[in-house]
Amino acid sequence: MLEIKNLHAGVKGKMILHGVDLKIKQGEMHVIMGRNGSGKSTLSNVITGRDGYEITAGDIVYKGESILDWSPENRALAGIFMSFQYPVVIPGVNNTYFLKAAVNSKRKHNGEKELDAANFLKLIKEKLTEMDMEPEYLQRAVNEGFSGGEKKRNEILQLLCLEPELSIMDETDSGLDIDALKIVAKGINKYRNEQRSFLVITHYQRLLKYIHPDNVHVLIDGKIVRSGNKDLAIELEEKGYRWLESA
Amino acid sequence: MTLAHYQTQFDQLLDRDDAHGPIHQIRKKAFSKFLETGFPTQKWEDWRFTDLSHLEKQSYQISDGLDDPLTTTDRSAYKMEGVETIVIHNGHYQKALSSHHDGIRVFTDPEYINERSGQIKTIEDDPFDLLNTAFMDSCLYLIIDRNINLKIPVRILVISSGIDPIMVSPRVYVDMNESSSATLIEHYLGDATSTFQNSSLFFSIAENSHLDHIRIQSNPISAHHVANLDVSLYRNGQYNFFQLSQGSELGRSNIRVNLKEEGSQCTLNGLSLSVGNQHLDNNILVDHFAPNCTSSQNFKSILEENSSGVFNGKVTVRKDAQKTDAEQTNKNLLLSKKAVMNSNPQMEIYADDVRCAHGSSTGELDKDALFYLRSRGLDAITARSLMIRGFATELLGSIKHEGIKNYLTKALDTWIMEKNKK
Repeated sequence: MLEIKNLHAGVKGKMILHGVDLKIKQGEMHVIMGRNGSGKSTLSNVITGRDGYEITAGDIVYKGESILDWSPENRALAGIFMSFQYPVVIPGVNNTYFLKAAVNSKRKHNGEKELDAANFLKLIKEKLTEMDMEPEYLQRAVNEGFSGGEKKRNEILQLLCLEPELSIMDETDSGLDIDALKIVAKGINKYRNEQRSFLVITHYQRLLKYIHPDNVHVLIDGKIVRSGNKDLAIELEEKGYRWLESA
Repeated sequence: MTLAHYQTQFDQLLDRDDAHGPIHQIRKKAFSKFLETGFPTQKWEDWRFTDLSHLEKQSYQISDGLDDPLTTTDRSAYKMEGVETIVIHNGHYQKALSSHHDGIRVFTDPEYINERSGQIKTIEDDPFDLLNTAFMDSCLYLIIDRNINLKIPVRILVISSGIDPIMVSPRVYVDMNESSSATLIEHYLGDATSTFQNSSLFFSIAENSHLDHIRIQSNPISAHHVANLDVSLYRNGQYNFFQLSQGSELGRSNIRVNLKEEGSQCTLNGLSLSVGNQHLDNNILVDHFAPNCTSSQNFKSILEENSSGVFNGKVTVRKDAQKTDAEQTNKNLLLSKKAVMNSNPQMEIYADDVRCAHGSSTGELDKDALFYLRSRGLDAITARSLMIRGFATELLGSIKHEGIKNYLTKALDTWIMEKNKK
């Protein structure tokens, strides 16, 4: 599904990733853990094609094709989705309007019939219930006046509507109370199946109580220094990152 | 200064005027005053950012139209559903094409002026109102009697057409008597090749009366448009103003709202959309004379290409205007590196027990928001359009009349779409 090869990337002349290798197969869930500044967000931003990042070496291959030159929207249409660490407030842009446009953009790309207002409403209402969100959400502007928890739930709601094949969860768990964390985890677990892949970025182990990854990687100073299974996360929780830094 | 050309035109106008009518003397007085002041220059504080030299260079002619039915111009493009329309073509009232509710009485001079012993209200020493007074084509007086509530909006449609450079000076007075209410649309359209349109509007809103005023300036891009708007509110009067400004090479609105008596309220909202070399300028003065009055201003500009704009908004709170509640906001969106916005919110407060707030911000589209939308599969143009629309819609939300709101929303969407085609 996704293969990152020897990726070197930076922003404003400062190199952040120093040769990342990562392979995520269809249906797999990988977790990347690391402290602030280790390059976690840079990694998710370069996969989704955010402006301002410079890739000096390596490649990102998605479903067999290099996507380095692809626009963010083409990556999204091809099935890549990122749940933002800091979802953006967009004043005046109505949630329903935005989400309908996004869903239909994807349907059009897939050669499917665009949803009309009634069918879209049916879809969104079903997903709202799944995420335990109020229907009044539909009338509001994108993320405007949302609490931290609501913003993160909104990200998962969008994920459920857009049905990506590769979901990148960028610190989706940070800033969530335990109830919101459970709802978010439930959304992810329900969505997960053997076709869909996940890359979960976090610096806490606590999300891993609710989701069960196939692989865990530790990112330090822009390099993956250790990979393992869920036990690695537990080990990190006990020992911290320092023992890996010296390794 | 080359006002000689205006002198020639003025002499021509006097020739065809009724020398014994009340207007004749009013014109002469105004024109001689205008010659003393001349056009404002950029040395005038209120005109610092707006260059009027074109008005002196171009040889505009007075419109030779008449107050007669207009039959030649195709009017289908000027239609608006659900309103009653009063038509002014090249400055002249077209009675046969106009319709209005019985509750509104429409006069032209001289009958109205005679009733007021030869006096009409003007804006003291304002060059453009002086010029309008001197050159006014047909002058209209709309009177809404007490306790009349007009449900259907009345639209004053000001059309400019023709291939000669013409100067048109529509002048309209609206008197709302006690406890009346109305929605009035002022709509500028046309296909004139070159026009200098200088309009003056006076609203008097009596006790407990309520006026919603929507001004749509969609003139052809070659037009030079100056609007002089003077509103006076009396006890518990209410005035809601919305302006969509998108036409004209030069568009300047001089908006004066006088909160004369206790309990009066006004909200002034404006959206300016400019492209090319357009320059759209809003000069606003809200004058609080009396206690317990409320005013708010919310103006936004979206500027593309080399266009420029001005927000010069001022609130004056006089000594007696205690418990004033006034706010002023100006937000601008620059869509091009070459676009320029001049924003100057001001407050002058002489009372001590007031609540006044103002703010101004100018910026580009938020890059993070743009990326957010694109990361959901919207292409760059759609994402931009959505954000531009989002920036503007807050203002459209203030319009109560659904039909007008839809019309304006469509105008906004069309503007955004046209822009994307470039």
